[in-house]
Amino acid sequence: MPIVVEKLKHSYMEGSSLAHDALRDIDLTVHDGEFLGLIGHTGSGKSTFVQHLNGLLQPTSGTVTVDGFNMADKKQRVQGRRLVGMVFQYPEYQLFEETVQRDVAYGVKNMGMGEKEALERADEAMALVGLDPVKFRDKSPFELSGGEKRRAALAGIIVMRPKYLVLDEPMAGLDPLGRHAILDTIDSLRETLGCAVVMVSHSMDDMADRAERIAVLAKGRLIRVGTTAEVFGDAKTLIDNGLDVPQVSRLALMLRERGVDVPSTIFDMDEMELALLRLLGKGGEKQ
Amino acid sequence: MKDITLGQYFPGNSSIHRLDPRTKLLGMIAYIVLVFIVDHIAVFLIPAVFVAAVTLLSGVPVSYLLKSLKPIRFLLVFMFILNLFMVKSGETLWAWRFLVITEGGVKQAVYISLRLILLLSGTSLMTLTTTPIALTDALEKLLHPLGRLGFPAHELAMMMTIALRFIPTLIEEADKIMKAQMARGADFESGNVFKRAKSMVPVLVPLFISAFRRADELAMAMESRCYHGGDGRTRMHVLRFQKADALAAAVFVLMTAGIILLQMFAV
Amino acid sequence: MIDIENVTFQYEDAVEPALRDVSLHIKKGEFLAVVGHNGSGKSTLARHLNALLLPTNGAVRVEGMNTKDEENTLPIRQKVGIVFQNPDNQIVTTVVEEDVAFGPENIGVPPEEIRKRVDNALLAVGMEEFAARAPHMLSGGQKQRIAIAGMIAMEPEVLVLDEATAMLDPKGRRDILSVVSKLHRKKGITVVMITQYMEEATAADRVAVMSGGRLILCGTPEEVFRETELLRQHRLDVPAMTELKERLNAAGAELPDTILTVEDMADAICRSLLKN
Repeated sequence: MPIVVEKLKHSYMEGSSLAHDALRDIDLTVHDGEFLGLIGHTGSGKSTFVQHLNGLLQPTSGTVTVDGFNMADKKQRVQGRRLVGMVFQYPEYQLFEETVQRDVAYGVKNMGMGEKEALERADEAMALVGLDPVKFRDKSPFELSGGEKRRAALAGIIVMRPKYLVLDEPMAGLDPLGRHAILDTIDSLRETLGCAVVMVSHSMDDMADRAERIAVLAKGRLIRVGTTAEVFGDAKTLIDNGLDVPQVSRLALMLRERGVDVPSTIFDMDEMELALLRLLGKGGEKQ
Repeated sequence: MKDITLGQYFPGNSSIHRLDPRTKLLGMIAYIVLVFIVDHIAVFLIPAVFVAAVTLLSGVPVSYLLKSLKPIRFLLVFMFILNLFMVKSGETLWAWRFLVITEGGVKQAVYISLRLILLLSGTSLMTLTTTPIALTDALEKLLHPLGRLGFPAHELAMMMTIALRFIPTLIEEADKIMKAQMARGADFESGNVFKRAKSMVPVLVPLFISAFRRADELAMAMESRCYHGGDGRTRMHVLRFQKADALAAAVFVLMTAGIILLQMFAV
Repeated sequence: MIDIENVTFQYEDAVEPALRDVSLHIKKGEFLAVVGHNGSGKSTLARHLNALLLPTNGAVRVEGMNTKDEENTLPIRQKVGIVFQNPDNQIVTTVVEEDVAFGPENIGVPPEEIRKRVDNALLAVGMEEFAARAPHMLSGGQKQRIAIAGMIAMEPEVLVLDEATAMLDPKGRRDILSVVSKLHRKKGITVVMITQYMEEATAADRVAVMSGGRLILCGTPEEVFRETELLRQHRLDVPAMTELKERLNAAGAELPDTILTVEDMADAICRSLLKN
């Protein structure tokens, strides 16, 4: 069963003169196990939107249901929220416990799990994000490096075994090594847990590599939803809305504008390589 | 939280807004003393007219000012009732079992309520028409002479400025951390006082750590911008007393004289 | 402009030095990018440029002034301005223009002169409309522009950006880069940009690559990004278009070695197609 968002509208400061709609007319479904990318620039309503997915914010009108649980209902929300793991921007700032293991276990303890079982689950989650439990279990979370802290925070969500993992700019502020490590972790989590991923990111190249579908938000409205090739294939719409596109898409657009015949739907490096080699008459030489 | 107007600034460019903040700060102190001197129902008219006149001049909506009284409404009622029944002097007006209302009690209850209302609306007017940064400047300037005695006037003002700057940032951050912990199943709303206090630990620890990190980075940024204490520092905005400030001072002298005279003859 | 001579630096209670025997000469008026991973020593290096940190061994001289001499500290900091990573943690006061004035106030500039400098600095970063606003209401990119204005008001000769774009969204990043390149071109300010983004470095005159506290490469962007093998050995990214060029050339295409950006690549492909 999916997450279904219907006719979602969210207004801040409802009823005052400062009222404005952060989100309007949003219809979107997050399917089981898919990788959905969410793009849009700051102020487009992305963060407001993802907070609806686990009931941290309530719609002004419209509905959000997670596997049938209506997130507007207080009792159903508790159930629904357990299915949706939410990783905020800079999640390392939520670490607070004395040891990494206890911090990771915080979520499942809140769900009512016993101490011993919770700590075992924490070890498991740490291993899943690539932090060796034996080495890191008893360390203070504040001794870790930036990338390790972020993975520890990610483990604190994974430990609850969410069916949907929502990540708000999970790579923000990390260097290339840290970015690759987080992306690899997300990949392996999907493989082992089979969870769906909703990822908000500004990094279009990372998005192009992984997302199966992409939703584009602008000024509180969903302006495009489609497969990655469809959305990046229309690079011009994205650029007109002040958004970045993967460099490969930008190259495709620029070449087409100069009359070179490359398909507009190319967004990944391997495909571009093949297309260009064919054009340059070197197609045969590639093993 | 939204109802607290004390300490908030109401943007404007009225003659009251433009007064030197030092004038307003000293004026407020004088006003507080005056409100406590007044001890006759008729004399209360003077500060009341003063507050009304300043409100009118400043262009601050009356509704805004009334909002500043909202947080103390329970205190007002409590003080009124307390004084009404506890003060026993003069003629007895009403009695029932152990409850007695005397003439002195009524007088005291009314006076204390008036004083509270006047105090709060007067001080709110000052903060509503003066930016916190201007107040800080005024404080630094007024306390400057004490610097020779070793009083850290500049440092105090700097600390206040930084605190004002970071309060909104930290409130925003606290909100973010609370949401993040709620996403991990934290519950801040149920349970008794102890349970709730304990549930705040996962918010307070990260908040403190972040505040220290910010302080560290800010110190480095300030050093990079050649900050080295108050010595040899100049200011872009120099405070200068204007004609309006002299006028304000005159108003205060007149008001003080009026209140003292009326107090002497009216009693 | 700035001479870094055999600088080694070790933080107190650290096991290993953060900088090892780094020598680099920063020329007046150049745009230098410094790239490397977290922990490569690039931020530590930045903090040596205005005497926030002092070398354990070796010396840093700003126009001949040794950073180790305490009497040079203020003149050096006036000449070398630094913008840091977190936009929230470098704004001191509650009004934008007051904050821009903070630096000049510290060095005792007369009030009328401060006013002039603040207005000019806000104009230079395109934030003049925001002079009377509260900084906490601004976006990250706007806050960073205020921080840059705060430096410009000190009339520095060198502007150091210590990962100043790392926490910004693409629009904020583009804004900062265009402001900085305008200051570089129009006012001749020397720019030292510390960054993790290889694409940002392609716009620089020179690129210095740090790894493990050492300076491993330094040269024009073309020279540096040609060394793809060495960069990969140090697990650094290569600009996407450079990588594409390499792959194509490996398959027999004859594209020039100087391709760094999408524009370069499009030009090269078109030229190559015309030849065929």
